[in-house]
Amino acid sequence: MTEQQIPVDRIPDELFQKLDDSEKNNEFLAMESKTYVQDAWNHFKKNKLALISLLFLAVMVVLAIIVPMVSPYTYDGQDLSLRNAMPGLDHLLGTDKFGRDILVRLMYGARISLSVGFAAAVINLCIGVVYGGICGYFGGKLDMVLMRIADIIYSIPSMLYVIMVMLIFGSNIFSVLLAISVSGWIGMARQVRTQVMSLKEREYAQAARVMGASHKRILFQHLIVNSMGPIIVNTTLMVPEAIFTEAFLAFVGVGISIPQSSWGTMANEARSLIQTYPIQMLWPVLAISLTMLSLNFIGDGLNEALDPRKH
Amino acid sequence: MDQQKVLVALEDVSTYFTVSGGMLRGKRTVKAVDGVSLEIREGETLGLVGESGCGKSTLGRTIVRLNEPTAGRILFEGKDVTELKGEALAQFRRETQMIFQDPYASLDPRMTIGEIIREPMVIHGLYGTEKQREEKVVELLQTVGLKPDHIRRYPHEFSGGQRQRISIARTLALQPKFIICDEPISALDVSIQAQIINILKRIQRETGIAYLFIAHDLSMVKHISHRIAVMYLGHIVEVGESDTIYRTPMHPYTKALLSAIPIPDPIRGKNRHRIPLGGEIPSPIDPPAGCPFCTRCPDAEERCFTQRPQLSQRGDRAVACFALEE
Repeated sequence: MTEQQIPVDRIPDELFQKLDDSEKNNEFLAMESKTYVQDAWNHFKKNKLALISLLFLAVMVVLAIIVPMVSPYTYDGQDLSLRNAMPGLDHLLGTDKFGRDILVRLMYGARISLSVGFAAAVINLCIGVVYGGICGYFGGKLDMVLMRIADIIYSIPSMLYVIMVMLIFGSNIFSVLLAISVSGWIGMARQVRTQVMSLKEREYAQAARVMGASHKRILFQHLIVNSMGPIIVNTTLMVPEAIFTEAFLAFVGVGISIPQSSWGTMANEARSLIQTYPIQMLWPVLAISLTMLSLNFIGDGLNEALDPRKH
Repeated sequence: MDQQKVLVALEDVSTYFTVSGGMLRGKRTVKAVDGVSLEIREGETLGLVGESGCGKSTLGRTIVRLNEPTAGRILFEGKDVTELKGEALAQFRRETQMIFQDPYASLDPRMTIGEIIREPMVIHGLYGTEKQREEKVVELLQTVGLKPDHIRRYPHEFSGGQRQRISIARTLALQPKFIICDEPISALDVSIQAQIINILKRIQRETGIAYLFIAHDLSMVKHISHRIAVMYLGHIVEVGESDTIYRTPMHPYTKALLSAIPIPDPIRGKNRHRIPLGGEIPSPIDPPAGCPFCTRCPDAEERCFTQRPQLSQRGDRAVACFALEE
């Protein structure tokens, strides 16, 4: 009882006991340090659907590169004696109405469709991130003016751009890319802008300012890097969108010019034979839908893997 | 203390924000900091205390130019900070640093500890080669009591106290002359608070850095501050030596604030006299016309409601109160 009456800050030294050395190291980190990418990959692997999709896409890319190289047929080589052949040993997927090998054309089309998809996504990514980043970071009047310009571009139907671009630059892969990219970056810009606006109020961004970091450094090294998760997911989802747009343009006849093939032009050509040889329609449609589906699954998987709140 | 050179001088600094008060009311002004004059001397710690929303953080942010002052001058080593540009601004950024309140938000989650501490060196091109920077980072980690092998880890692997140490190491990378500590301990456990305070004190002993230590908790401020400034609703109401203010507070607000410090001893705690304050801190959108404290002051007289008392020297301190003028 007497001990309790000593005021806390007047406890004599001899009543204190020294802790032994084993207590000294009680603040250590037991877990192996994982980088952001490792962590995301571990979570991505758990999503089987996304993993299968990634595998499918990888196989598709490899086939698109190899098949036209090793096949005895070319994408435009016609064999009029072998028109509309059913799948067989010579022509694994059959031939079309001009006797061209469908497998080679499909894989040649994969090259065009996939490269259009990925190239468009990368272009939209670059423009969108820089544009949206600048709007969100600087805010105010600049943001207001730039976003209204974006709204105007977005409000004009994309078909108009497509027809204009095709008229000026002709029907080739670059005009398709250009046509998709004219307004495709705006969704990305809007998303990045929102992200940057909320992140720039974080204390680490302000600490960087107090340190004397330039606007460029704060925006690209801190804010954009920290919004990378949603940006990557959005980019993944832009790929199927671009593939679909390209296929659609080719289907309505304003895509790349014949005899080159893309999935859209193949579907267009098969349209006239759909009642007699429906199998010719099946291949490009299957390619388009499976690719789009797998890219969407990958996007979903990444969305979950990159968002720490969903772990 | 008095002979020491003045490092930072605030002259009548005001920081106002405009907020839109809805469609019919139009724009209104929030007077977060209103006519503050203060001096911070080389190698000293000035404690800035006051309740939440009194403008103390805004004042700190104004000094480092995270907010632009509406009026007044901020002199750092005699030069007006608000007019700095280019190389002079970079120099100022090197010499003034800030430690933030929330250790969970003030470190970039995508950077390793090494990258975080190295960043200020990279920005200002200090310490030459990568290897020298690496060595400096290790040295800084040891200064704040962390281990060199923490260098490749990410902020989320550390506790609040450890993160605040990392923040301190980052500010020290530039060897500043002046650090603003914006409530650096209020998000931490009491036992960790003392550790951080001790690190800050040790660094001050070794390097002669000056601190502006912003806090709402008076009991901790006492341990680190040489002088204390008490802020209320954007105004400084009392400034003086730490011991003087604690022993004999003069301004009624300081008295009330000090009486609210809990005493960690039930026996002595029983004899403590609390001065209760009625009401809420008035909104800085329409502060009282007279003394900012008049709405809650137990000794308010008639003129307190109409005239504003100025901060004036009363012996060993400066106070802004009419009741003390006779």
